Amino acid sequence: MPDFAEEIRQRLAGMRLPPVREHEIVEELSQHLEEQYEHTFRGATTEEEARESVLHSLDQSNLIAELTRVERRAPADQMPLGEPRRTTMFSDLAQDVRYGLRILMKSPAFTIIAVLALALGIGANSAIFSVVNAILLRPLPFKNPDQLVVVWESAAHLGFPKNTPSPANFLDWREQNTVFSGMSAMATRSFNLSGMGEPERLDGRRVSANTFDLLGVQPLLGRTFVQEEDQPGTRVALLNEMLWRRRFGSDPGVIGRAIMLSGESYTIVGVLPANVRLPAFGNWHDQVWVPIAFPPQEAAGRGNHFLQTVARLKPGLTLNAAKAEMETIAARLAQQYPEYNTRIGASVNPLHEEIVGNMKPALLILLGAVAFVLLIACANVANLLLARAAVRQKEIALRLALGADRARLTKQLLVESVMLSLAGAVVGLGFAWAGLRVLTGFIPPDLAQATAINIDAKVLLFTLLVALVTGVIFGLAPASQASHFNLNDTLKEGGRDSGAGSRGKRLRSGLVVAEVAISFILLIGAGLMINSFMHLRNLDPGFRVDRLLGMNIDLSQVKYPDTPRRVAFFDEVVRHVQAIPGVQSVAIAGNLPFTYNGDSMPIGVEGLPDPPPDQRPDVIFRAIGPGYFSTMGIPLVRGRDFTEQDTADTDLAVVVSEKTARHYWPNSDPIGKRLKNVSTTSDAPWRTVIGVVKDVRQNDFVAEPKMQMYFSYRQLRSLMPNALVVRTAVEPMSIAPAVRNAVWAVDKDQPVSNMNSMEQVVSRAVARQRFSMLLLAIFAGVALVLAAVGIYGVMSYSVAQQTREIGIRMALGAQRSDVLKMTVLQSLKLVGLGLVIGLGAAIVLTRVMASLLFGVSATDPLTFLTISVVLLAVALLASYIPALRATRVDPMVALRSS
Amino acid sequence: MFVIDTPCAALTYMAIAHMSSRHLDRELKKGSAELLILSLVEDRPRHGYEIGQLIELRSDGALKFNVASLYPLLYRLEKRGWIRGRWVEKAGQRRRRFYKLTPAGTKVLAAQRDGWREFVEAISRITGIQHA
Repeated sequence: MPDFAEEIRQRLAGMRLPPVREHEIVEELSQHLEEQYEHTFRGATTEEEARESVLHSLDQSNLIAELTRVERRAPADQMPLGEPRRTTMFSDLAQDVRYGLRILMKSPAFTIIAVLALALGIGANSAIFSVVNAILLRPLPFKNPDQLVVVWESAAHLGFPKNTPSPANFLDWREQNTVFSGMSAMATRSFNLSGMGEPERLDGRRVSANTFDLLGVQPLLGRTFVQEEDQPGTRVALLNEMLWRRRFGSDPGVIGRAIMLSGESYTIVGVLPANVRLPAFGNWHDQVWVPIAFPPQEAAGRGNHFLQTVARLKPGLTLNAAKAEMETIAARLAQQYPEYNTRIGASVNPLHEEIVGNMKPALLILLGAVAFVLLIACANVANLLLARAAVRQKEIALRLALGADRARLTKQLLVESVMLSLAGAVVGLGFAWAGLRVLTGFIPPDLAQATAINIDAKVLLFTLLVALVTGVIFGLAPASQASHFNLNDTLKEGGRDSGAGSRGKRLRSGLVVAEVAISFILLIGAGLMINSFMHLRNLDPGFRVDRLLGMNIDLSQVKYPDTPRRVAFFDEVVRHVQAIPGVQSVAIAGNLPFTYNGDSMPIGVEGLPDPPPDQRPDVIFRAIGPGYFSTMGIPLVRGRDFTEQDTADTDLAVVVSEKTARHYWPNSDPIGKRLKNVSTTSDAPWRTVIGVVKDVRQNDFVAEPKMQMYFSYRQLRSLMPNALVVRTAVEPMSIAPAVRNAVWAVDKDQPVSNMNSMEQVVSRAVARQRFSMLLLAIFAGVALVLAAVGIYGVMSYSVAQQTREIGIRMALGAQRSDVLKMTVLQSLKLVGLGLVIGLGAAIVLTRVMASLLFGVSATDPLTFLTISVVLLAVALLASYIPALRATRVDPMVALRSS
Repeated sequence: MFVIDTPCAALTYMAIAHMSSRHLDRELKKGSAELLILSLVEDRPRHGYEIGQLIELRSDGALKFNVASLYPLLYRLEKRGWIRGRWVEKAGQRRRRFYKLTPAGTKVLAAQRDGWREFVEAISRITGIQHA
């Protein structure tokens, strides 16, 4: 029988039909010709004549022309063999997507695992990017926020590169500068709201009248302040929307009404929307604003530094121009007022940087960490794809044999992997959304940015980009492998074991090495953070934190204008609180540790020369009542505590901290020595040192304690204590209501606020560190699990591939332990290489973390050693299980299967 | 009723097929060939070779489709949705492609039959060729 199929194929060759279609036509037509041939041959012609006659019928009409008319319209939905057909990119893409969908749906287990791994990685990235987006990238909610700057006094030589300016300096700056279209000053002030139900302490601020115009904030009701109101004696106030809703029932008629704030009557002129949060330094919760209205004495002061400033650059002016001019003005002021301003400069910083600057390193490190997590997820999915590529090699070989274009095949494999990563992104966004809801609970309060953290268009775009890049990254390995493998070998081997080709094996091994290296870096990062957090928590704050209740009691200056009246009030409060069951001791305090960053001044010491004004160290001072040290658990080292007998009529006393004592009296007993405020030549009275106490971390939990001193509030005229501290025998918060009632029993209008156990206060002081540590630890944990799964997967696969080899070895007498050793050693080689690479990278990379670490060096040997051991152990376990399976191979079965 | 396999129809076809104008020849042939194929797969599915054989057989060799004209025609009818081809495997045999009439094809066949009959009658009235 002549080969009619070949004859037909030759004639069709010019038509460039899709191979499948061509094959069908050839089959159908050649059948026809064969039957015709048999028929003709039976009619007693020679073979040659019969062949001629049949072929003649094939060529009688114009077959190609007729077929072209019918077949030119390309048939729909066909398997993309990758034929070198010219089509548009999009029809190719649509076809690839359809085919990819079919392939992915055919192996749901693979698809689900891959999508979940990717979702973890992509979701973590989206979540952290949402935080970065909200905190670092989103503009502040003010008009033209990039023009807004903060101006500080700079006293870098004293360790205060950014000091709050004094009113007189601020007023001079505002007067003399030409670079700002406006400058505003703010000062925190709390108010006692009374005369309308339960008394309440309200956080608030005195602000320059132009503050809200300068920021571009519109009131919800009424108006903001006008310039004329920036005068001492004006009593007008703006309310926060939250306060207005809570205490005034959203009454639109509130404008013009009077309220009692700290015993004085103020007229409400406006309500500001709830989302208005002034650029704050530790306080986001302003509820009331009043004009700053410097009294003449305050306005002239250069020694009292307490203002916060915001200024707006004139349009077109650069930050550097502003810096230069402010430095010039500061230099001029330093000459004019050497007593106060020597070496005091002025620094100008963008507002955005002021607010988010110190979160930047932690956030960027977290972003790096989640990128690593994603890389590991990619490596895992690439591994999965490689293992599957081995199975699909037959399909790919067949398509190549049928004339598929390698580039087109690669493209189609990439489309498949990008589809996987897009699915991962969709699920990942779900993870991110859920994760953010949990995460926001852990975000430190001062980090909760003016705008809420959520998934917006930018985050969606970021996720899409990440997904696309991810898809290409993990798709490249299998795709490159697919387009490189040797067609002949694969077809000859019938597809069996071909995935174990040296190229595939190298790729998979490389992925394991990369996974181990990356997770090592992450684990080191997390280990260092956990380690430094432990150090932090083990720090001695200088007082006993447990079973200690603290609260603010801010007295009204109007109601309690002098010391005797304050003493009478506080004595009554102490007496009432002392009677509450569960209370061990109680004391009056001024600004509990970690609640306030102010109140410090230089001192003059009798018998010691005063240093020049720019070289006098500040000493933190606190006004306290008797029993404070014993109640707080601050050990008294020498001398005595204040007693009720230390009053305005007796010798003025002071208790100093050990650090202060060491600094001024390094070689002598400080008891009985005398000191006074600011300098020996000031007109302040001398105070005698009666005791020395241990150092307390007052402002900053992390920094070394500064010099401190304590006064008895009974011997002070202006400084008021504002806190109460209670040592309890029971859980401190359980008696909080009783303590509040005790205060109200003395004065029903006296607000009690910020009731917290000191444990809560300390925990808040390290909230940022805890937040970073927690996240990094979570990511490192995810990375470890992913890496373990990856190692396990690769080892399982490689054991499966070696079944025959193991069978032969065992048939030839290899012991199970030999097989176990061989398999585990194989994986240990990879893990070891990964560890070495990870070690090198970690030593370099953890340096960027140095600023986040505390008490631990970035190359802490113990952390490095521990993490190496942990990772090695996990890797061993992950390779031991497949190895164990290898030893159970039955030689007979293994050999037969091949 | 006009049926394709009456000698009369075949004669008519021959008459037309031998007209001198090649153009008319091709058009008529095309139209009538569609009708022939649709008629043949009306009662049961048939494969291409069988269809070719039947046409030759029933026209006593007067009508003959070679492979190069039969299959493009089949593919065209299939593309139009009038017939549908399916690969059918039978034990011990090679798979073959069987064509069957679709519902759309049934309507087309009826319409073509009417048209053809009118055409033949018109030609007959003019030329004096009578029905048998």
